[in-house]
Amino acid sequence: MTDLPGYPSRRSFLKASAAGAALSGLALPASAQQQPQPVSLDEYQREYLNADEWAFIMAATARLIPSEGDGPGALEARVPVFIDRQLASDYGTADDWYMEGPHDPNAEPARGWQTPLNPAEVYRQAIPAFDAWCQETHGAAFAELSPEQQDASLTSLQNGDVALAGELREFWGLLLSNTKEGYFADPQYGGNHGMQSWVYIGFPGARAAYREWPERHNVKYPLGPVSISGERA
Amino acid sequence: MKTFLRIIGGLVVLGVIALLAFIFVPVQRTAPAKELAADWQPEPGQGEYVMHASDCVACHTAEGGEPLAGGRAIASPMGTIWSTNITPDTETGIGEWSYDDFRGAMVDGIAKGGTHLYPAMPYENYRLMQEEDIRALYDYLMAEVAPVQNEVQETQLSFPFNLRFGIRAWNWLALTHDAGFNPVGTSDLQDRGQYLVEGPGHCAACHSPRTPFMAQDGVTASDDAFLTGGVIDGWNAPALRGEGSAPQAWTVGELADYLATGRNAHSAANGEMGLVVEHSLQYLTDEDNLAMAAFLKGIDGAEVEAPETVAAAGPIATPDPEADDAGRETAELLISADPEMPLGARLYTDNCIGCHFASGKGAPGLFPELQDNHLVTGSETAPLISVILNGAEVPGTAKRPMTLRMQGYAERLSDDEVAELATWLRGAWGNDAGPVSPADVADVRDTDATH
Repeated sequence: MTDLPGYPSRRSFLKASAAGAALSGLALPASAQQQPQPVSLDEYQREYLNADEWAFIMAATARLIPSEGDGPGALEARVPVFIDRQLASDYGTADDWYMEGPHDPNAEPARGWQTPLNPAEVYRQAIPAFDAWCQETHGAAFAELSPEQQDASLTSLQNGDVALAGELREFWGLLLSNTKEGYFADPQYGGNHGMQSWVYIGFPGARAAYREWPERHNVKYPLGPVSISGERA
Repeated sequence: MKTFLRIIGGLVVLGVIALLAFIFVPVQRTAPAKELAADWQPEPGQGEYVMHASDCVACHTAEGGEPLAGGRAIASPMGTIWSTNITPDTETGIGEWSYDDFRGAMVDGIAKGGTHLYPAMPYENYRLMQEEDIRALYDYLMAEVAPVQNEVQETQLSFPFNLRFGIRAWNWLALTHDAGFNPVGTSDLQDRGQYLVEGPGHCAACHSPRTPFMAQDGVTASDDAFLTGGVIDGWNAPALRGEGSAPQAWTVGELADYLATGRNAHSAANGEMGLVVEHSLQYLTDEDNLAMAAFLKGIDGAEVEAPETVAAAGPIATPDPEADDAGRETAELLISADPEMPLGARLYTDNCIGCHFASGKGAPGLFPELQDNHLVTGSETAPLISVILNGAEVPGTAKRPMTLRMQGYAERLSDDEVAELATWLRGAWGNDAGPVSPADVADVRDTDATH
């Protein structure tokens, strides 16, 4: 098991817990807030995705927002949890979308959703199809490929070089936008764990009170974010 | 020895006779201070106006019930008192009551048939009303209110408070003031205000302290303790006179705005006072709300300057107030957005600052100021905790129709966090009140959960 920087594996989580217990007797700065740590991604109880789909989402989001940078990656932000929970919700089932036909797989992108499948069904059908393409092209399912091969595969997917059924044409767009949403959405939806992405870009979250700040040009706003549920960072 | 026993025996017999007399001899009703002419008639609308000024509806209407048909639970230290049906229904209301019966209830706290009323009925105050107003109110209730058949739950207090004849002795302690109105005579406006405040408005029922016997300590303008603040059902009814009181800090116009609309440049009425505005004060004339404000302003001799109108129509272009000297340090801390600020300040920044602002002065006519706000700094902390947990609502009125709502933060803040926030608020912007503990917060949360 790889220890991702910034994201606790089970082992480092246990170590961190021991350190946390040792530190808990000390005074904490005002902004610090002790949050219960969620289960690791390996132990996470999936709501919609199956094991193969989960492996794909873990691998794909980790390439779209990699951990090797100066900010948190998709896995540190728990983007796969966000995607799983969204697909299990009324987003996944497109409950309040207009889903009647006609659907034209060749329509311009501006013409909107052009498949009778809902997002959950798109993921369910597209992941095995894309994995089959990876197997054929690179010799293994996507999750088993090297990072370079994974990047090349995703680039092919983005460029339309992967022959997917017309009903699955939204797959790449969904995967990319859901990954970004899981990274930046409020933590209550399972992603943006600990508001790491907000801290990274300096977004102060659900505070909405900056009336003294708009005219302070070139002064960094120093205070960390707050989530909708009141979590502080 | 025999003589001694005889004396003791005699005293016991006398005592028993006195007790029986105390229980069974009918109480004399106070005679009217002024006999009205036989053909006296109230002005059209006078009785309904007195009904509004006396806020009969607030207590004599059950939640969701017919107006004045009774059945509202009034919490008292002795137990729950159920308000009665005062519509003219002959079986369940006051349809069979004569004017003298009605007068007896208003002035002496004695119902038809001689039963003592519990002093949740503010006859301590209503006895100061003028004969014309009591009569007009009676005529209104009997002739203009439709009878409603509504048998209300009987009040059953525990021993000894279930023995209503005991109230006879209590009345000796409480009704030390004569019936009828005695104007101070400063000006016609202030005298009118004094009448409304002392009598129909029964402000002293909440805003005066209580004696050890639970009687109002200060019923008329001549009493030193009159309107010096009370505690009612765990809420502070703030002092309406003296240094730092709202009538002294605000202008007469601002106070009249508050009475008429439940909001002004400084504050907003919620809790019991919100009900008073909703059911009573909004129906009074501008002159009468100004009169009460003028009386309260001048109660200890301050200069009184009253405007012509209350809560003027049209857009209000009052700028948001900046922090004053006492509040500047707190405001600067908040504006700095310093991550090292105390947790209370951080919680204020994350949750409250959008409406109440770094200045702690809120927004005129919308959001109350938290600096020098008696609900924030009161001796009772449950109201502040309750507002943070459950939010608050200021009812809309004819002049200011918008209902003002504050959301509750019970889901967003833990007991520890509410305690930190409340403690911080009680010391911010120059406020100087003691801390709130997480246990205090837990108590309020539990109480609200069981209600």
